Amino acid sequence: MAEEKTLYKGIGFCSIDSDGHTSEIDIKDGRIIRIRPLHYDRKYQPEQFKPWKIEARGRTFEPTLKTLISPLALSYKKRIYSPNRILYPLKRVDFDPRGERNVQNRGRSRYVRISWDEALDIIVGEIKRIIARYGPYAIFAQADGHGETKMVHFPHGQQKKLLTLLGGYTLQARNPDSWEGWNWGAKHVWGYEPVGLPPQTNLVADIAEHTEQLLYWGCDAESTQYGWAGQVGTRVRYWFKELGIRAVFICPDLNFTAAIHADKWIPILPNTDVALQLAVAYTWLTEDTYDRDYLATHTVGFDKIKDYLLGREDGVPKTPAWASKLCGVPSRIIKTLAREWAARPTTIVHGVGGSYIRGPYATEPARMEIVLMAMQGLGKPGAHIFKMTEWAFFGSRQQLSLPKAEKIITAMPASHDADFLALVPQQIIPKDMVHDAILNPPISWYGGYLFFEPVEKQFEKYTYPVEGFPEIHMIWSDTPSWITCWNDGNSYVKALRSPKIEFILSQHIWLENDCLFADVILPVSTKFEEEDIATDVNNGQFSLIINEEKCIEPLGEARSDYDIVCLIAERLGLLEKYTGGRTVRDHKKFGFEHSGCADYISFEEFEKKGYFILPTDPDWKKDPPGMGAFYADPGKNPLNTPSGKLELFSQRLAEHFPHDEERPPYPRWIPHGISHQENLGGKRAGKYPLLLVSNHPRWGVHSEHQDVTWLREIETCKVRGPDGYLYHPVWIHPSDAARRGIKYGDVVKIYNERGAVLGGAYVTERIMPGVVSSDHGASYDPIVPGELDRGGAVNTISPRRTTSRNATGIATSGYLVEVARADLDELTKRYPEAFSRPYDPATGPRPERLLEKRR
Amino acid sequence: MGKALIIDITKCNGCYNCQIACKDEHVGNDWTPIAKPQPDTGQFWMKVTDIVRGTLPKVKVAYWHDICQHCDDAPCMKACRQQAIYKRADGIVIIDPEKCVGNRNCVDACPYGVIYFNGDLNISQKCTFCAHLLDRGWKEPRCVDACPTEALRFGEEAELKEYIKQSEVLHPEFKAKPRVYYIGIPKRFIAGAVWDPGEDECTEGATVTLTEPGKAKKLVARTDRFGDFWFESLEVGKYSLVIEKPGYKAKKLEGISTEKDVNLGDIELVKR
Repeated sequence: MAEEKTLYKGIGFCSIDSDGHTSEIDIKDGRIIRIRPLHYDRKYQPEQFKPWKIEARGRTFEPTLKTLISPLALSYKKRIYSPNRILYPLKRVDFDPRGERNVQNRGRSRYVRISWDEALDIIVGEIKRIIARYGPYAIFAQADGHGETKMVHFPHGQQKKLLTLLGGYTLQARNPDSWEGWNWGAKHVWGYEPVGLPPQTNLVADIAEHTEQLLYWGCDAESTQYGWAGQVGTRVRYWFKELGIRAVFICPDLNFTAAIHADKWIPILPNTDVALQLAVAYTWLTEDTYDRDYLATHTVGFDKIKDYLLGREDGVPKTPAWASKLCGVPSRIIKTLAREWAARPTTIVHGVGGSYIRGPYATEPARMEIVLMAMQGLGKPGAHIFKMTEWAFFGSRQQLSLPKAEKIITAMPASHDADFLALVPQQIIPKDMVHDAILNPPISWYGGYLFFEPVEKQFEKYTYPVEGFPEIHMIWSDTPSWITCWNDGNSYVKALRSPKIEFILSQHIWLENDCLFADVILPVSTKFEEEDIATDVNNGQFSLIINEEKCIEPLGEARSDYDIVCLIAERLGLLEKYTGGRTVRDHKKFGFEHSGCADYISFEEFEKKGYFILPTDPDWKKDPPGMGAFYADPGKNPLNTPSGKLELFSQRLAEHFPHDEERPPYPRWIPHGISHQENLGGKRAGKYPLLLVSNHPRWGVHSEHQDVTWLREIETCKVRGPDGYLYHPVWIHPSDAARRGIKYGDVVKIYNERGAVLGGAYVTERIMPGVVSSDHGASYDPIVPGELDRGGAVNTISPRRTTSRNATGIATSGYLVEVARADLDELTKRYPEAFSRPYDPATGPRPERLLEKRR
Repeated sequence: MGKALIIDITKCNGCYNCQIACKDEHVGNDWTPIAKPQPDTGQFWMKVTDIVRGTLPKVKVAYWHDICQHCDDAPCMKACRQQAIYKRADGIVIIDPEKCVGNRNCVDACPYGVIYFNGDLNISQKCTFCAHLLDRGWKEPRCVDACPTEALRFGEEAELKEYIKQSEVLHPEFKAKPRVYYIGIPKRFIAGAVWDPGEDECTEGATVTLTEPGKAKKLVARTDRFGDFWFESLEVGKYSLVIEKPGYKAKKLEGISTEKDVNLGDIELVKR
């Protein structure tokens, strides 16, 4: 019997940058035996990496000596060996590049196995043909988003360098998703880059010492930490509780954070937080319990907000009684919340995404939150805006809320994506407008590359197609998960079937979601089948760099995304230019040498040991917490705004968008507008009387992990329908369920005029009446593509329009739907093919449903 | 003496890592003579269950854990006619996968319901505390290694005294002498929110007195600024409750049954 061998991997799903889930992988006979936490002290003594310690109120918080990996990392063996793995190249059976393309059958047709040679012939032929006919910008690269975190073999964007070498391409410009309100709203108030969140430096220590109340607002940090941050957040939250810091949750659902940490739950209708916020401000104003001095020295424009609050401007005082009718929170609770907040140092907690920041007009709650915090001295000891999900952010020193290491490290130089994150081609399409770009060109919008761009870019108008440039005619996607993750997936399905799109190439690990619409699909390996390098600086405990050795041989004929682009580059005579003449190990070594770790350990020793942990910075306590420096002296530490202060009224917005009623210069209650009519007070609510909350998923990262058997059998992951199908859960309150004749476990239909999605009724006290909740990201299993889905991909019916007219974010939570009990017998009769496809409850729809026998 | 497991329900965040780690270790891996593979789905040698308590907005969630109790007086051992179940010197109870012939007597005999019958292999199976790993020098089973919060602790009973002191065993009346100890077993709560409809304000500082009819002991709570009060860790029974505040008419609520957790909802307290 062979011995077990232990290797190291980061199992995060951020796709690039860093991980928080360093794991030990035990291998025997070419198979993965187990995945388990890394014990930091396996190869190093704690004296070498110097564990930190935070002390407050007579208690101590310390890191553990093992990584706190999430269930998504722990169960990943099932994803690696999933039956949905694509094992060889596939071609849509009725796609003929020299004849009929049958684009109308995308999403319906099956696939046939082809050889790598045949696949490369088709792909290279199409690239050449498209460039000759339309020019290189007719090729559209979908090359962004989350996925396995890798460096040399990074999963999204490998094709960008090759397409640049071919003369250019049109880029899908990624939206700062999960920070919509911060990016398009808050940035105009305080200027913080890159996505609009404030500095987080040393906030855990400051909160532990000074904060008396935490307001967890519309977020589920217990779940969002699973992607790439580990579970240290849970330990921090339990510690805060031990210290006696009160935890108040303001959210429509008793999410997984509230479920265990809430001292008080204040249920609120989704996307009505601004009403509550305005009433809190009104209470402070009328009871004179706010910080006038701070407003005078640290902000501009409060007078305008004051007039609005008191009703001097629109005749409507923003009283608790006024707000109560809109947001569903009793006025006495609003008043008490306001008084409690004014009476004690209070910090607001966010967890990225959630019901609060991704809705229509999300700019308003984000901006109003800053107004509130400013009224209570934002940045003073104990009064912060605290992001409690990930513990680092793109190499920024200002984003480390737990004690920092001596250096910020990154292995990004191992990846050529580093150069391309900043290099934007001359034609782009914002990710959330791709369907519009294909179906209704020309389109225009504000904001350029949309990610990592200074706030000033939001004042620039862009159009597609750019004058003199072609429309897109080929899609090359390494991110085939648009339908289930973005806005109005049903419109996107229609766009994918447009005859304009002559060729769709997908490369992916699993046969799922947008792959079902591709003409050619290439099989990608998991990181366990590849050699790479990684850093883990997101876990909050220690920073480390990992030598990621190959654990197992590739499954079937799978290749890494990098290798795939190398193969295509080779056929185009560009291999040498594409790789820069470097081998994978050369890339790794280069990455290591430029990571910041080479001062501590040689590459050879690093390879031998498998990982290296950086020591804690002995001076970590010296960095002022959060916005502490600005609080102490705004003159010396100005913000990146024209005035250097918090611009509660943004003169720049007033000048650039003088007629924008959807994002006026200061935050307002905007129930309806040109872009959205998704409020209970409007006409549509007659037909669609429920508000839908869509959080980031509990048991997956966006579209990932949907076929992991050990997750699917968890009660809150899937609901077993009477037909044996595991439906995506739809949380509904018993009162709403009873009114509709719905029982726990029934199959229900969530619908509005954009389409319908089936789900499994999870009847629960964990959601307030008038609201239903369903996580986004369920695997798309279309009954009628573009109209009706069985998998539970609820974003297929989310609003198509962006955050607001001039704010180009997505609005995929807090919109109107109706829910009804689904008649399974009738559906089965009507759609016999869809309801008789090969299916295994353990893993979901079987791949055989999509595969033809080999020709 | 021997091994013991402490399960602290108050520290569990419901990540299910324990249930998943158990599967990662035992599904598809054969650890004979300690254990043969666990089925991929549907059976759980460490099983987590969500318990949703109360009604909106007084709702809490606890995560229950079912696992073999490794009893010192194990009913399963007595029930097995094949003598396939044995207790190791470290206290761990093992069903010998090579001796078991699938009689299932142990499945019926286990009062904790934690032995599964694997139809494919025709054997009974359950948690082994990952004895195959302990025997190679591991300090704890996979579930404990994967737990991010120390909700699970494992070790020599003597070293865990401090935790055992705060804990209880499940169903001591079975007299099976379990080696698994629970901290924070959810009992019942009675909660409510008091308010003054005249002022439209939450009523802070009201005294809430809870009595169990026939029992002398009274529990007293004061409402917080939101008017909320909570009585936790109550036994199942029938209770009555009085809410008082100077200047207000006292309010009495009777016949409160704690078959389930109770949210009394918004309670009006009116000025005299």
